[in-house]
Amino acid sequence: MEERLRKKAKELLESGEVKVVIGYGWNRQKTRTSPVFITDAAEVDRLVWNPLCVNNLSIYLTRKFKDIQALGRPAIVAKGCDIRNIVVLITEAQFKREDVYILGMACEGTVYRQELWKGELKPEIMPTKCHNCDVRNPHLADFVVGEKSSFTPPEAPAGMVFDKIKAIDAMGQAGKWAFWINEFSRCIKCYACRQVCSLCYCERCITEKNMPQWIETSAHPRGNLSWNLTRAMHLVGRCTFCGECERACPVNIPLNLVNQKMIQVVKDAFDFRSGYDEKTHPPMIVFSPDDKDDFIK
Amino acid sequence: MADRILKKENLGKLVASVNGKGGRFIAPVLDARQVVFKDVARAEDIVSDYILARNSYKEYVFPQTEVVADFTVEKHGVDLKSREVEARETVVLGARPCEATSLSSLRAIFTWDYIDEFYTKREDTLVVITVACTKADEACFCTTVGLSPETKTGSDVYLLETESGDYIVETMTEKGKAFVERHKAAFTEGGAKAKALVMPEKIGTIDLNKVGARLKDKSHYDDQVWARLTRKCIGCGACTFVCPTCHCFDITDEGTAFAGERRKNWDACQYDTFTLHASGHNPRHYQYQRWRNRFMCKFNFYPEKFASKGCVGCGRCIRVCPVRLDITEVMEEFSR
Repeated sequence: MEERLRKKAKELLESGEVKVVIGYGWNRQKTRTSPVFITDAAEVDRLVWNPLCVNNLSIYLTRKFKDIQALGRPAIVAKGCDIRNIVVLITEAQFKREDVYILGMACEGTVYRQELWKGELKPEIMPTKCHNCDVRNPHLADFVVGEKSSFTPPEAPAGMVFDKIKAIDAMGQAGKWAFWINEFSRCIKCYACRQVCSLCYCERCITEKNMPQWIETSAHPRGNLSWNLTRAMHLVGRCTFCGECERACPVNIPLNLVNQKMIQVVKDAFDFRSGYDEKTHPPMIVFSPDDKDDFIK
Repeated sequence: MADRILKKENLGKLVASVNGKGGRFIAPVLDARQVVFKDVARAEDIVSDYILARNSYKEYVFPQTEVVADFTVEKHGVDLKSREVEARETVVLGARPCEATSLSSLRAIFTWDYIDEFYTKREDTLVVITVACTKADEACFCTTVGLSPETKTGSDVYLLETESGDYIVETMTEKGKAFVERHKAAFTEGGAKAKALVMPEKIGTIDLNKVGARLKDKSHYDDQVWARLTRKCIGCGACTFVCPTCHCFDITDEGTAFAGERRKNWDACQYDTFTLHASGHNPRHYQYQRWRNRFMCKFNFYPEKFASKGCVGCGRCIRVCPVRLDITEVMEEFSR
């Protein structure tokens, strides 16, 4: 697959169809992957593909990365889950479909706990999203690399995240409050969750608006709660459960629980799941005359 | 000569003695599947099998958020009342030799052009008890920046783990001696064999002198190498917040229009608002320029201004980085 990917990347760069290929490369020790930006066809051998390719590279397509946009039209190496984020970015008019060349990777799952990687992809080192993945075969791509996956996700979503959500739902109001206050108390306000998220593309985040200061920037319980709740609300109907925020969190706040819960709420209320169709707008940004609620009419 | 020993079963005595005398005992404990420096009340909570705590203990001398003043807005103007720091004996057990050297770096900056008492008063009463490393991982690079598990500078008390889980105690400073004296009931004498220390391999392709020289020559400033190596940086503050020498902070007011508090909060040079001018101009427009600044701070500004180190090689920034941007790969590039 790696060879196929490199060959295609080379073709694209040589023909001038794209100016940069955003993909994965090795770190020095070859133990982790790290994003690479290939602009020279002679350097395509730096591209790698394996289950350690966890990053959702679609962040580099957002307007936060002006220097990358300045390189010219990009091709992006993307797993199905990453493509879902690209789809959301298109539906939110961040760029047009033709502005990006998608190198879709057929995927058999990624490794969430990389320190446990011993060269074999076992279910127990894969994140919940991979166990329930319905986009192992890229659903939107200009070119698909790899053999078609025959994996079918379970009928009812299963895995640690779903189990925990059920447990939290059963806690009652006081229990839930105590649970989340405790989890958020560790927040250090590094904003890695925001920065790693391709859907947090605002150039000026609400936390940075300080006249007045809407969200307290201090990492005290009040500030941490307002930050984490605000971010959760801003992702409703948009988040694709790519899991990058939880992976990036240096203090292990279980953000996947917040986001998956939101996804379930949106699914129940609007029968909508984000990131599948680039022509359908997310429910929070559309108005329908048939809306069952009348307060807006 | 018999060694001074801190027996595993006497850790509880030490914790109780420090806490009982009005002090604070900080040690690595397990919290949310991570080893973290936290206040400890029971010795059983202290873990010993770890490489480095997730956080730097700098937060006990330079808290992530603290109130420096209270204000009320009156008819005649603003009343501002400064807060006083109430420092008490704070003991950090389980720091590693690399990070122990970072306190002198923090002190250098906080006493440079202004004596920041919020820092100095806390540091004056901080006792650093280092436990030399018997484990390392691929992110450790202390030996590359001229330190090692045998480095004792910065430690008030230096401990070597023994095969049986006890510690051989060596006092390094007057503060350390006074500490052991004050809590002497917890210490015994005896002989024990220390576990072998583990040295991370020195990265042969890195030459700190060359890195320094290259950074001093300002021609590197607009070199495309910065963009090439670091444009993947996503601009979170994780590296700076876990770094034992990063020290930038921001002052912010919280409260109502009539009363509130003035806070000193950690800030990070990796944020785009860090250098944003009121005019709207930002001298560090791209993320790789912000990354360049952090690197410059550690390997150019610090060595130029102070005798202490800007980077101690603990590797926390590498472990925590969501895009695995490895500072040693940039050091390597600048050693060519």
